[in-house]
Parts: sequence; C-alpha cells; structure tokens
Amino acid sequence: MNSLRRHMKQLSLIMVILMSFATTFSVSAHAGMVGTGELIQQQQTDLDRQQLLDMLEDQNVQDKLAQMGVSEAQVAERIQNLTPAELADFEQQLAEAPAGEGVVGVIVLFLLVFIITDMLCATNLFSFINCIR
Amino acid sequence: MLDQALLDHVPFYPQEKYQCGPASLATMLNTQGLATDPEILKELVYLPGRQGSLQVEMVAGARSHDMVVYPLRPNLEAVLGEVTAGNPVLIMQNLRFNWWPQWHFAVVVGYDSEEEVLILNTDTRRHYRMPYKVFHATWNRADRWAVVILPPDSLPATAETLPYLRAAHDLESTGHTRAAQQAYQAAEQQWPDQPAPIMAQGNLAYDQGNAEGAASHFLRAVNRFPDFSEAWNNLAYALSARSCPEQASKAMACAANLNPERFGQAPELPKGTTGGSRSSCPPIPDCPADTTER
Repeated sequence: MNSLRRHMKQLSLIMVILMSFATTFSVSAHAGMVGTGELIQQQQTDLDRQQLLDMLEDQNVQDKLAQMGVSEAQVAERIQNLTPAELADFEQQLAEAPAGEGVVGVIVLFLLVFIITDMLCATNLFSFINCIR
Repeated sequence: MLDQALLDHVPFYPQEKYQCGPASLATMLNTQGLATDPEILKELVYLPGRQGSLQVEMVAGARSHDMVVYPLRPNLEAVLGEVTAGNPVLIMQNLRFNWWPQWHFAVVVGYDSEEEVLILNTDTRRHYRMPYKVFHATWNRADRWAVVILPPDSLPATAETLPYLRAAHDLESTGHTRAAQQAYQAAEQQWPDQPAPIMAQGNLAYDQGNAEGAASHFLRAVNRFPDFSEAWNNLAYALSARSCPEQASKAMACAANLNPERFGQAPELPKGTTGGSRSSCPPIPDCPADTTER
C-alpha cells in the first residue's frame, strides 16, 4: 500500500504538469485563425467526451455506480471537466482494453481519476483519501 | 464480411537480407499504381546501422509519394475490413520477445475466416497462410500497428472523419499540399455533415496566400453550418485579408456572439494587403445569433 501511495504521488505530479499545459494551450489559442490541427484536436476531445457520457447510459454502469455510492450526475460532471490530455489517456486505455471488458474498465479508470483529483483536492468524493495540500 | 478474400493483384517483392521494410513499402505503393521498387525505396527507409526500417520512415516514405497513410484501429476486424474492400494492409510484427525484439513488416493480402488464417506477403513467401493466433501474438508485441496507404482521392474502408483528417493534415504539414487538398476534398464528400473538412480546405488556401479561395471555403462552411463559430472566425480573417473589412467585422461579431468565451475578445483583424475593390466582396449570410436574440 505504501509503494502504491508513492507511485500515486508521482502520477499526480505528472497529471498536474499535464493539466497546466492544457490550460496554457487553451489560453494562447484564442487569437487568430483556428488552425486545422487545433480544430481536429478539439473535435476529437468533444467526441471522446461524448462517447464517455454515452457509456453512462448503460444500465450495467449505472448499477455499478449505485453500488459504489457515486451518483451518475457526479460522474457526468467530472467527465465534462476532464482535460483533453485526460480524455486522450482514457481513449488510449479503452482502445487497449479487451472487448467485453469495456464497461468495467471505464469504471476502474474513473475511480483512478477520481482518486487522483481527490488527492489534488480538486474533488472530494472519497473520504479515505488524504488531500495532499 | 466475406468468409475469405485474396487480393491477387497485389505485387510481391521477396525481401533481401533484413529488408522487409523496402519490400513491403514497394508492395503497398505499387498496388496503388506507382512504379517504384525495393532498391529505390531502400535509400528512403532502410537504416544499414540498424539492419532495418523504422515505422516513422515507412510512413514518411509513403507520404513522400503523395500517399495518405491511414492508421487502422488496433483490431483484427479493421484489418479484415480493409482487405475485403480491396486494400492491402501494412502491418508490423515482433517475431521474437518484448525484451529481445525482432521487428518485421509484412503485408496482409487476404484471409480465410473459416480456417482462421491471414494471408501475408512476408519475407520471401508469397501468400503465406498465418494462423490468427500466431498473427495476434506477433502483432500484439508490435502494439498492433497497421496502416493502409492510399492515394488522396480514395478513402479507406474503415476511415473515420477525424483520424482521416489527421492523416491528411500530416500530408499538409510535410509539404504535400496538393495531395492534402485532394484528401480534404474527398473527406468533404464522404462526410457532408462535418464542418472540419471544409475548414481544412479554407485554412490550406489561407496559408498559401489564397485569401479569395479561403473566403469561399469558409463561406461554404458558414452556409452549411451556421452555428459553427470557428467557421465565422476564420471567415473574418480570410475576408480581412481580401480587404473586405466591413464583411470581416460582421463575421467576427458573429463568431463572438456564437461563442463569446472563445472569440469574445478578438484582437484587431489584420488589414489586407491587396487593395481589392469593395464591390467584389462577397455578401455574407445572416448570423444565427442575431436572429435568435431579436
């Protein structure tokens, strides 16, 4: 458990860096033409987000969430707030997940993100996690 | 999907020592009607020091022939789907172990789903029948890398809008603008409900200093997708470059209205350099944001 916690710290540091990058980019992107690369990236993010939201409609997912005491609305809001980097990461892992494990896989991935953001004090879903700040 | 398929028209080049890269790239390119051969491609993609070729060089080698390199989804269905549609698939395999890899390129030219075999042109064997199991093991260890290589006017059977546009944009950013333009055009025809292919054509024209062409692409975009604020924004820049300041600021205002968060504080538009007469400025359609507010 200790070693897991140590890894979590490193992981969260990486996430912080990634998130701050994402913020920097989206601010500097305002002025000027919307380039093709930027547009593709942005639409891909929207698409990935929508795909994740669609998965929440699945009855199995809703049952599982209810079991774990997390509301669908909480998860949906969390999805809305995912950065492009986080979304891309999800997509990558989803694509690599063996067929049929998709639904359970999504839940596990979400838990991971919730735990990390809880540690960063961005959310407060799990009481067992100590906020690192 | 068919039970079996074999693309007999795909040429075969038995590889010489270690040179699966040039041989399979020649297979892919010549299937599309080019007339190259492994000896020529060797210069492009073979690294003598590593006794092999790298993925990036294979991709770059195909692009330098004005081809679109489309990466497939990492599953067998995508590979079979392309073969069924008549497109050979270039795949990478690791024939040994993760910790001691032996990379290999081969071309999938057929399959037989009853016998569960893929038919490959690989190393010195033509139409080699490889069981799915063996293929999966070796393909998995190479991150299931698979691409089709097609001329920009024909789309892969499994193509999806955004990955295809990304492949076309890679052509554009490596200087193959004509091929990229063709690919964007093909994408617009294939996916008429998507604004991105039109936007890409407009941006390409704008980057080449063709403000008039750019404006007409962006106008088409706002006509078909009036709520797409990015199109209004880019239209504003293209019109401004065409010396149509009046229409440009109208378009810019529309972008800001539709998406105040993103385009609300637009910087001053650059002034156009060509002193075109105002009368040649195209009329722009009404902004949807104006009509809903009133």
